[in-house]
Amino acid sequence: MDPWFDDSSARLRLTRRMISIDGVTRPGILHGVSFEARPGRVTGFLGPNGAGKTSTVRILLGLDRPSSGTALINNLPYASLPRPLTVVGALLDGSGAHRARSARAHLRWMAASNGLSRSRVDEVLSIVGLSEDAGKRAGRFSLGMGRRLGLAAALLGDPPVLVLDEPINGLDPAGIRWMRTFLRQCATEGRTVLLSSHLMTELASTADDVVVIDRGRVITRGTVAEVTAGHDSLEEAFLALTATPTPW
Amino acid sequence: MVTAELRKLLGLPTAWVGLVLGLIAAPLLVFVNAPALRRMADSGQLPDPADVGYENLGIGLLGALILGVVVVSSEYTSTGDDSPGAHQMTSTLLAMPGRKRLLAAKGSALALVVGVQGAVTAVTTIVLTRSLMPFAPSFDPVRVAAAVLYWILLALLAYAITFIFRNGIVTLTLFIVNSSVVSVSYLLTKLTPLAAYLPDIVGAHMFLRSHPADETIPPVTAGVVMTLWVGALLAVAAFLFRRRPA
Repeated sequence: MDPWFDDSSARLRLTRRMISIDGVTRPGILHGVSFEARPGRVTGFLGPNGAGKTSTVRILLGLDRPSSGTALINNLPYASLPRPLTVVGALLDGSGAHRARSARAHLRWMAASNGLSRSRVDEVLSIVGLSEDAGKRAGRFSLGMGRRLGLAAALLGDPPVLVLDEPINGLDPAGIRWMRTFLRQCATEGRTVLLSSHLMTELASTADDVVVIDRGRVITRGTVAEVTAGHDSLEEAFLALTATPTPW
Repeated sequence: MVTAELRKLLGLPTAWVGLVLGLIAAPLLVFVNAPALRRMADSGQLPDPADVGYENLGIGLLGALILGVVVVSSEYTSTGDDSPGAHQMTSTLLAMPGRKRLLAAKGSALALVVGVQGAVTAVTTIVLTRSLMPFAPSFDPVRVAAAVLYWILLALLAYAITFIFRNGIVTLTLFIVNSSVVSVSYLLTKLTPLAAYLPDIVGAHMFLRSHPADETIPPVTAGVVMTLWVGALLAVAAFLFRRRPA
């Protein structure tokens, strides 16, 4: 039984949170990006490499600044959230851990920074299947294990909002399936899930809503059915919308 | 936040290199120097024993310097070959997004560790020196406190410079070349007495009594000047840290 899914509805006491991005601009990268991600739904943020997905996510998480526009979580910028790990769980590139530090040591300092208990560290290690490797240095992790460690950090504060940038990069087929089930379960529990990816088939089977970005502009958004309408698949819709040239 | 930063710093193997080096280098140097100093004292060739013991503390500063560098450079080290652009600073800012508070928490954790390291080293070194060389100056709590404060300020100086360059190599090169290969600061003192107020020279005046730069600066003045240097560089670091993307 997965501890994340046990009696979660009682344990979580979810406060409904929403991501709202409004007119976010960074010269040469983003041009007035606007969309929302709602609670209880997986919102797929879809676009080719270099379209501006990671830049948007980094602005949302307060890591970069927009030249104009706002990116808010429950009407607050990320930097204004008290104990942010208890509100937003984020997964970005890499494991996020110094390579000389063990997975457990990495999660323990993160937990300490937000007043979270040490027992929660063991819980999240168990959720992502890293309990046996908890004492291993992060630098010795495979790409997939690093992603799992990053996800464990995102889950530390049991947050109602998840922001995941290309989360299945580096995962094996079993890991990809696990992630899909996991994210669907999160949405069922009422969490807000923003999932950025360039993998259309993956998003088609996971997301409820889709926001398509290309060259720094949102070109369409809606439910998967709305965006796919008139095309055979989300992939066809995406290629038609972005007019991505095929190099072969 | 300070607890998290302490945990982070003390969880790094390189930080322990700095910690251990800082703790043992100065007391070891006492043993190395003792026979020669005793011979000089016996033959009356030691004109001023005022700094015997205290001057050994300089080498331990290397440990404080390493700690000041590592606390920042570890944040900007790549997390792995798979994602060369990713570093721990992203996790740090996700957990503690208030940049000014983060800078303060990191600095406090560093000052605490270096303060304890400096105090243990200084007391051990001075007591050891006195027991091996009775002509050495007796234990002076004010001078020892000044030495410990100098350690903390130098560590914070390295901390600020590493934050400015986001790279530990630059800071270490700057300090090690300047202190061991050719001291640019010392050479400058030959051109202008004002160079004695450069941070790596002025700080020593806080606890040493005989000075190679020929310029005598009172300990309190030296402490104030050193603090101003550290404050100014920390202000630059904070300004850049708040404006730069993570």
